[in-house]
Amino acid sequence: MSDDKKPGLIGRWFGGGREAPDTRESQAEPAAPAVAERSSWFQRLTSGMSRSSQAIGGGIVSIFTKRKLDADTLEELEDVLIQADLGVAVASAITDRLSAERYGKDITDDEVKSILVAEVEKVLAPVAVPFALKPDKAPQVVLVVGVNGSGKTTTIGKLASKFTAEGKKVMLAAGDTFRAAAIDQLKVWAGRTNVPIVARDVGSDSAGLAFDALTRAKAEGIDVLMIDTAGRLQNKAELMAELEKVVRVLRKVDPTAPHDVLLVLDATTGQNAVSQVEVFGRTAGVTGLVMTKLDGTARGGILVAIAEKFGLPVHFIGVGEGIDDLEPFAARDFARAIAGLGD
Amino acid sequence: MFESLSDRLAGIFDKLTRRGALSEADVAEAMREVRRALLEADVALDVVKSFTDKVKNRAVGVEVVKSVTPGQMVVKIVHDQLVETLGSDAQPIDLEAPAPVAILMVGLQGSGKTTTTAKIARRLTERQRKKVLMASLDTRRPAAMEQLKVLGEQNGIDTLPIVTGQSAQEIAARALTAARLGGYDVVLLDTAGRVTVDDALMSEAADVKRIAQPHEVLLVADALTGQDAVNTARAFDGQIGITGIVLTRVDGDGRGGAALSMRAVTGKPIKLMGVGEKADALEDFHPQRVADRILGMGDIVALVEKAAANLDAEKAARMAAKMGKGEFDMNDLADQLAQMQKLGGMSGILGLMPGMGKMKNQLAAAGFDDRLLKRQLAVIQSMNKKERAKPAVIDAKRRKRIAAGSGTDVSDVNKVLKMHRQMADMMKAMGKQKGGLFGGLGKLGAMMGGGMPDPSKMDPAQLEKMARDMGMGGGLGGKGGLPPGLPGALPPGLSGLPGLPGGRMPGLPGLPGLPKGPKK
Repeated sequence: MSDDKKPGLIGRWFGGGREAPDTRESQAEPAAPAVAERSSWFQRLTSGMSRSSQAIGGGIVSIFTKRKLDADTLEELEDVLIQADLGVAVASAITDRLSAERYGKDITDDEVKSILVAEVEKVLAPVAVPFALKPDKAPQVVLVVGVNGSGKTTTIGKLASKFTAEGKKVMLAAGDTFRAAAIDQLKVWAGRTNVPIVARDVGSDSAGLAFDALTRAKAEGIDVLMIDTAGRLQNKAELMAELEKVVRVLRKVDPTAPHDVLLVLDATTGQNAVSQVEVFGRTAGVTGLVMTKLDGTARGGILVAIAEKFGLPVHFIGVGEGIDDLEPFAARDFARAIAGLGD
Repeated sequence: MFESLSDRLAGIFDKLTRRGALSEADVAEAMREVRRALLEADVALDVVKSFTDKVKNRAVGVEVVKSVTPGQMVVKIVHDQLVETLGSDAQPIDLEAPAPVAILMVGLQGSGKTTTTAKIARRLTERQRKKVLMASLDTRRPAAMEQLKVLGEQNGIDTLPIVTGQSAQEIAARALTAARLGGYDVVLLDTAGRVTVDDALMSEAADVKRIAQPHEVLLVADALTGQDAVNTARAFDGQIGITGIVLTRVDGDGRGGAALSMRAVTGKPIKLMGVGEKADALEDFHPQRVADRILGMGDIVALVEKAAANLDAEKAARMAAKMGKGEFDMNDLADQLAQMQKLGGMSGILGLMPGMGKMKNQLAAAGFDDRLLKRQLAVIQSMNKKERAKPAVIDAKRRKRIAAGSGTDVSDVNKVLKMHRQMADMMKAMGKQKGGLFGGLGKLGAMMGGGMPDPSKMDPAQLEKMARDMGMGGGLGGKGGLPPGLPGALPPGLSGLPGLPGGRMPGLPGLPGLPKGPKK
């Protein structure tokens, strides 16, 4: 249903929406016309992540076409996994298991791939938890946190469109009062998705804003209140304390708030993502993860390491710039995409 | 950044340097650990491989195994190799071209292009007195143009007026015309973030490059990037052609592997690094110094530069004169604390000091953070004029009042008073010493020109004495003080820093406030 009411709004604001390819088309060479309107997210994921899969999948093929499984081969496989950002520990755990089962035997690359898929899926399956809307909590408060540039505001925009499409009354709170024009950016998203927004001036107190937003959401019978926050590096103690304050203040209005704290992770981030999950988890009580920018080159493997270490639910992955390019996380598909196994 | 990598490497090298002789196997083992440390720091695999191979080749040669301190030799080789990988000399932004010099900023979404554009503009304006125009070519992200406009207003930089509906190419052309007509020296073009697989956007950037003929094309890259850094760097260099790299989020606790990777695969220099959210938090990238930092050798030069840029010379001279007389009142202490804050607080200073990385962690573990500085300042600010000039008059009643006024409790006030007493004693002691400890800026300049003394070359006994003098050993709340063997003191040259009592940082002596946890 969100398809029907967008054009006018988005057309005015270049890019970001599904209109994006058209804008480009008109000014550059003919781009691929908005491909496969309603293709399954897995298709989109695999095409988005094709480079990623090719990197890993191709690597595996080149290792395994003609060889027995020996120490060198295992090391090369480990390298391939490391290059996908799975991290040294997870990569060696996977190769260890491969070695325990098949050492010295001939092994085809299909077998290697299926073991890889099985391993990755085993780690990811428990964390593939869909985001639950909690009608009894209305207004359900969703606090969105993350480091600078991870894609918090864009994610909120996409989620707003999604929840609105599901018939929920959504409200946004522009809690990033630090970055220049962050408030404007969220206002644009509010306009696109046609939801109310609570905003104050740049530099005002974001905790106070959160308080006001929640009070207003309660009064107006809002179902889901999504609160944006300023990006902050997790090693900045003062900024993390500020985030704690936002949580504290929200609890004054509703002791059970925030009901969800979503940490937005950038898929290009390497091992630092682990530290982000740890620190944001400690200070803001992260309840779930969103991984964005899974549409570029080889990446996303860090999610496996994070899943193994923290077991936090992964609710969504962002696979593109369009308003609908945010999809629930599915372990098997993700694992298959990583291993380079298509449909 | 770099700290955790430096910790890892320090551990590996500790093992090496403790041994008398090294076999090839020892070196190989150490290199395996170095490999893992680098991989965990997100250095790209290919880069790691060639790095360890090169080090191994040089390290297993006769010189190492036969040298008196083989471990040290390996550390030196790793250091040299790091410098080689990072590039040897700092390469600032090149403006040697007919005005207006165009600089094109490219990068992935969320890497920090817009913020970096404003930072560079401000830097060129302030430091090089250039007239700079900024233009946002980001027609995609909502409010991206407004963001640059606001940043321009905040920093007093002109931005190209926004005309909605124009394509990136049109804006680029308009920006150049405006720059030419307006007599600008430099025009900065901020482009939309793009994924490397988005061919349409990549070709748009290439178009813009053709139109603007930029003298510099800077790739803005996130220092927290993982293995993908090489793909990003290769793609942008291959499709657009870059002249340099700006690394952002270097103030995060990432391990900075991306820096090594991107320099290695593109061969393009890292020119600048973003070290904070403020508009002036941009530093030159000095490969040598970064290598030092990675290996835990600290970056004293950066500290001195920072001090020189931030300290008020006049104030320092006044302070020096006062201290010469052995006077040190609460106002002076407040000045000292404020200056520490300007230098980036305790953690900022310690991070730049050789061998202080570990201590920084201990401080953090002991619950010390820069809020303490703020609190101490608040305590002093709650004293009246008389009390500040003559702290001896502060009795129990006054203490209560001060505590209430500053939102602290009496024990906090006591700690500040104690710190003041200790420092005043020290000042007195130093005032008696001869030889103008506080020489002012002239001395600082000479020091920088003459190069900093290398603590690793200093006599260990001397270092130890200095560490004792600084009174830090027992000051860390009994947490074991400084790790043994690490130079626990400022290099002597730094004692000439105006405004900082020689060799003894304010707040450091005994660190009186330390054992207290952060207030929630």
